[in-house]
Amino acid sequence: MNILGELALWVALPVTAWGMALGYLGGRQERGDLVLSAERTVYATFILILLASLGIVDNFLNDRFEYWYTANYSSRNLFVFYKVAGLWAGQRGSLLFWLLLLSFFSALAVWSNQRKNREFMPYVVGTLMGLQLFFIVVLLFAEVNPYEKLGFTPVDGAGLNPQLQNYWMSFHPPTLYLGFTAFTVPFAFAMAALMNGRLDSRWIEVTRKWILLSWFFLSVGIVLGMRWAYEELGWGGYWFWDPVENASLLPWLTATAFLHSIQIQENRGMLKVWNMALVLGTFVLTVFATFLTRSGLIESVHTFAENTTIAYIFLTFMASIVAWGAVMVIYRLPKLQSENQIQSFLSRESAFLFNNLILVAATFAVAWGTLLPLISEGFFGEQITVGPPFFNRINVPFGIALLALMGIGPVIAWRRASARNLKKNFLWPLGVGLGVTAVLWLTGVRHGLALTTFGLSAFVLYIIVVEFWKGTKARARIEGEGFAAAFYHLVSRNRRRWGGYIVHVGVVLIFAAFAAEPYYVEVQQTMQPGEVTELESPLGGTYRLTYESTSSNVRDPDQNLAWQAVALVMVERNGKTIGPMRTEKRGYIRPEGQQSTEVGIHSRPLEDLYITLADVDLEGIILENDPNAQAATFSFMIKPLVGWIWAGLFVLMAGSLIGLWPSAEKVRAPTVASKATVADPAPAGD
Amino acid sequence: MAKNGRFMVGLVGVAAVVTYLIWTGVSDTMVYYLTPTELEAKITADPTFKEVGVKVSGRVVPGSHEEAPGELLHRFVIHDVDSPDVTMTIEYRNVLPDTFSDSESMTVDAVVEGRFREDGVFEAKTVLTKCGSRYEATPEELAAG
Repeated sequence: MNILGELALWVALPVTAWGMALGYLGGRQERGDLVLSAERTVYATFILILLASLGIVDNFLNDRFEYWYTANYSSRNLFVFYKVAGLWAGQRGSLLFWLLLLSFFSALAVWSNQRKNREFMPYVVGTLMGLQLFFIVVLLFAEVNPYEKLGFTPVDGAGLNPQLQNYWMSFHPPTLYLGFTAFTVPFAFAMAALMNGRLDSRWIEVTRKWILLSWFFLSVGIVLGMRWAYEELGWGGYWFWDPVENASLLPWLTATAFLHSIQIQENRGMLKVWNMALVLGTFVLTVFATFLTRSGLIESVHTFAENTTIAYIFLTFMASIVAWGAVMVIYRLPKLQSENQIQSFLSRESAFLFNNLILVAATFAVAWGTLLPLISEGFFGEQITVGPPFFNRINVPFGIALLALMGIGPVIAWRRASARNLKKNFLWPLGVGLGVTAVLWLTGVRHGLALTTFGLSAFVLYIIVVEFWKGTKARARIEGEGFAAAFYHLVSRNRRRWGGYIVHVGVVLIFAAFAAEPYYVEVQQTMQPGEVTELESPLGGTYRLTYESTSSNVRDPDQNLAWQAVALVMVERNGKTIGPMRTEKRGYIRPEGQQSTEVGIHSRPLEDLYITLADVDLEGIILENDPNAQAATFSFMIKPLVGWIWAGLFVLMAGSLIGLWPSAEKVRAPTVASKATVADPAPAGD
Repeated sequence: MAKNGRFMVGLVGVAAVVTYLIWTGVSDTMVYYLTPTELEAKITADPTFKEVGVKVSGRVVPGSHEEAPGELLHRFVIHDVDSPDVTMTIEYRNVLPDTFSDSESMTVDAVVEGRFREDGVFEAKTVLTKCGSRYEATPEELAAG
């Protein structure tokens, strides 16, 4: 398997080169036979890369430590689960994994377009194969070949970083990578449109689902990363504005902007150049995010990094794509003229435009803050860094503005909003928003930012609920349906719109969770067994935490544990027993000497109780087995609303899936269209 | 075209506001990121620099970690990665990251952010440890292990 895998990677090199050449040539000469042949190389490449990836997994499963990559990221006693995940544990494997997903999505794009969009396909195939060729060349020639051998066989591997031995970590990188690579397809279609000159909105219509799919995976991947940080880093936070986190946020920001701005192009024929810039920028940022994580270019808490020369290869690659895209856009400028103009600041176009400006501004700010150490070193020879204070200061106002726009966008009229439209649509929501703010103020919420966010959240939620209610009611009346059926049909007739609103609800929940941060409570306490700490929740309620004991386990090779110190804390809330919570410190056999802290989390709908074993006399407990060495220092935290982030993610996923679900509209197009126009009472829809 | 002009003005306005936000944001919150040697050179050149908050990266000196029992007070020494005789004593009052270690068998790089106290001890507000490079063993290390 390993020999076959390595061979497959080499065979893929000429196959992709050939496929790229055939695709572009077939496009220029309009020769269907060449294009068909090029499309077959896409399938062939997917199979070859799959073999190459399986070979690496096989190396991990069979402990082949004669390979540099396996030796550095695995060990004999590593769980099988993490051995499979070894494929994306390090830079070399990640690059191959990226390529695998890209080749899969390329094959899927070709397969789903066998009979349609033929005018785009030659260039789409050419572009996709060109990108794959780049990754294959890097893998084979840039000293990052996961099949490189050490020249001898170590007895055991170095082991996987224990922070990566976490199930969230096994899903977080692949999910993000799915998001990154799925965006390659819209990018390839955009490039194809620039090359074949078909620059109406067709390339957007055919890749709409791909864009949403990519955005879906990016969102899920980012939130999974937050969950990982929350559980694994033990600080009780979920976002640190760390370079690696920022890198994954950048393409999400531009993809979000793109997801909105394409609606302007589809509805009003505007923003064509802007959309090209966004698709290009987002793609380049996905590449940037991929290599930044593993390049060591910027210091970060979690760069698990190595070879830096690859950074320069990738920077050159990104710069070439941007340059080439820019040249093509300028060349096609006559065909990218706007068909309409914005007529008023008070219009839906304008709301979308502001949404885009804010998202792009946030992208710039985050990118600038992330790259500042590099930029300042380049210009002044000194590294200057900025941290969370900078990012929060810039992005919090942006977030607030976006939140407001989430309410305004759905109900403001296209073209020009009349005073009547504004009054009709915004009077009540504003009242509700202000009402919620007032109630919160009266119940003791005094933090300005929290009040603003909660008030705006109520404003947005009210608008969305009323939209759903009005739509359902109108449909029930016109079609004579029951409310459940009317609701179902309403959503399924225009899933993009209603799915989008549901996504907004998810985002509102997540924003509300962010806004609760000023109300986090943290107490550090050194305790002896039997001692009690009481903790007041800002939402009311008292936790009574009794430290029971710390017990030790020594050496469990099956679990890769050298030792384990487990502290038990009995928890009561308002006199009712919740049960014992555990938090522990662990030492690993491989990598030798590595420790980790496992936190205890008790989740309630409105808050989490989060406990960590901050400090304990490990020598006394583990080595000397001293019964008096029980003093332990804990960090007890209460985190209001933090669970809403994960709840919000589920809502967001549901909304995206509604938008992604394959539709039957082609089969029944005429009836659906007529019904939809009747049943949609709101301003002519997106 | 007049409308477009107005929007261009708006666009430039937004760009100006964003630039201003970023600019002031950076100058209000920026922190120098230095090696112990660079920091020493800066302080020699300008003694007031001692009071400026900085971020310093260095390597943890094996066996240098002490902690006060029962309180979360840590003290350890870092040295410049390239010139090991330049050292700094760090004091940190919080939970150290899991990847922190002063064991002989490991190379741990720490990034500390904070400032010097009167007594020459560097009081860290944050301590990050870099663990990445350690997981990439050299062939010799693997052969030995």
